[in-house]
Amino acid sequence: MRKRITLFFVTCSTIFLSGCDAFEYHPYDGKISGERNVNAKNIARIEEACKGKETIRFAFFGDTQRWYDETEDFVKALNKRDDIDFAIHGGDISDFGLTNEFIWMRDIMNKLKVPYVALLGNHDCLANGETIYRKIFGAENFSFLAGNVKFVCLNTNALEYDYSRPVPDFKFIEEQINEELEGHEKTVVAMHVRPYSMEFNDNVARVFQHYINFFKGLQFCLNAHDHHIKIDDLFGDGIIYYGTANIAKRKYLLFTIKPNDEYEYEVVEF
Amino acid sequence: MSMKWWNSKIRVFLLTVVLCLSFVTQANAQSEYERRMYNYQTRWSKLIPKYTKVQFAGGMGFLSLGGGWNYGKNKQWETDVLFGFIPRYSDEKVRATFTLKQNFIPWNVKLGKDFSMDPLSCSLYANSVLDGDYWASAPDKYPNGYYSFSTKIRFNMALGQRFTYHFPVDKRRTRKSVTFFYEIGTNELYLISAFCNSYLKPNDYLHLSLGLKVQIL
Repeated sequence: MRKRITLFFVTCSTIFLSGCDAFEYHPYDGKISGERNVNAKNIARIEEACKGKETIRFAFFGDTQRWYDETEDFVKALNKRDDIDFAIHGGDISDFGLTNEFIWMRDIMNKLKVPYVALLGNHDCLANGETIYRKIFGAENFSFLAGNVKFVCLNTNALEYDYSRPVPDFKFIEEQINEELEGHEKTVVAMHVRPYSMEFNDNVARVFQHYINFFKGLQFCLNAHDHHIKIDDLFGDGIIYYGTANIAKRKYLLFTIKPNDEYEYEVVEF
Repeated sequence: MSMKWWNSKIRVFLLTVVLCLSFVTQANAQSEYERRMYNYQTRWSKLIPKYTKVQFAGGMGFLSLGGGWNYGKNKQWETDVLFGFIPRYSDEKVRATFTLKQNFIPWNVKLGKDFSMDPLSCSLYANSVLDGDYWASAPDKYPNGYYSFSTKIRFNMALGQRFTYHFPVDKRRTRKSVTFFYEIGTNELYLISAFCNSYLKPNDYLHLSLGLKVQIL
């Protein structure tokens, strides 16, 4: 009887304690509270809201790692506008790959009025970070259609993988090139690390560029990682790479894709 | 004749001295050996853990088990060696951890005959994830300073309190006392994050931990 009572108390207290956020088993314990699959849910919202639109306006920001205050300010600044369709986080959500870092950033970004998607950055791959990223945000390669523009978001953090996985994943790129989508006329390719950055697998830099040029109506490329605004025609083929600053610089890029193959961009300070 | 007598006397005397000496040295040899062995065993016996400990949470695993040593004039110092595990949750596998923990308990307050309380415990501990996916310093493939921290080793600090029940001498069988403790702590990465961001509040980066210590020696 005494043993049973003890067992009952041990079970009850274990259930109570493990449900309590006051306890942390380990900073890398992968114990996720709150929303998961954020990208998929937001992609549904983006596709629905942009259906039939010919002018698309979106914000591109990134490298929020350990800059919670600045990210919060960015969210407030973006929420003051009502001319934006969605936002894209270019990767490096976390700084150390800690489980809580992803949760804290997700909670800040979830306050955005517009839907957002987040890419995988090299810092997000640290320790078991990528597993956490997959659970909270989704697959590391994904795409969505906003109006007539397809956004292809790619994992390009090759240095983190030691050839254990194809990065960039040409099979995925090829599937995306061959995918027939109703209304798809233009394409934007987004990534965390741009070609010729040390993190990128530079052996395939030109191959990568060759491949993405097969995308229907390729407009431009987006990247984060460099922590500076960097705008370059990397391969001299007219496809511009727009690199955004880290959020600590209080800047983001604003793009407007217009009908008739035109687009505009602006560096916005907040 | 007299020479002979002297000789025999000397012989007896010498024999006695030699016998005595041999006894003395034999006796000395034995006590010296015993003394040395006693010291030898005492030195090694200091390595026997003085207590066992189990701790819940605390950034070192779901549960950590181990032992340790308390020492110092008022036994105010403690060194724990703990092994723990991190449950799988969203990760791919369960992972093992190892913790080396140093505690300082400056005061002890008696509460009645069998109880006592430590109003403050200060702990510093290093925790290591025993897994190849985690590194102590960034692998060679990265340029110098690319990642300037370790994913494997976390440095933690905690403050807490303890309550002890001392078994009365006549009731002691396998243990001297049992201590319940709680700690509130954080690690160095959370501290760095909190330092630069007012967004992070103490309940984001400070965490509670509970434990039991069973004092054997």
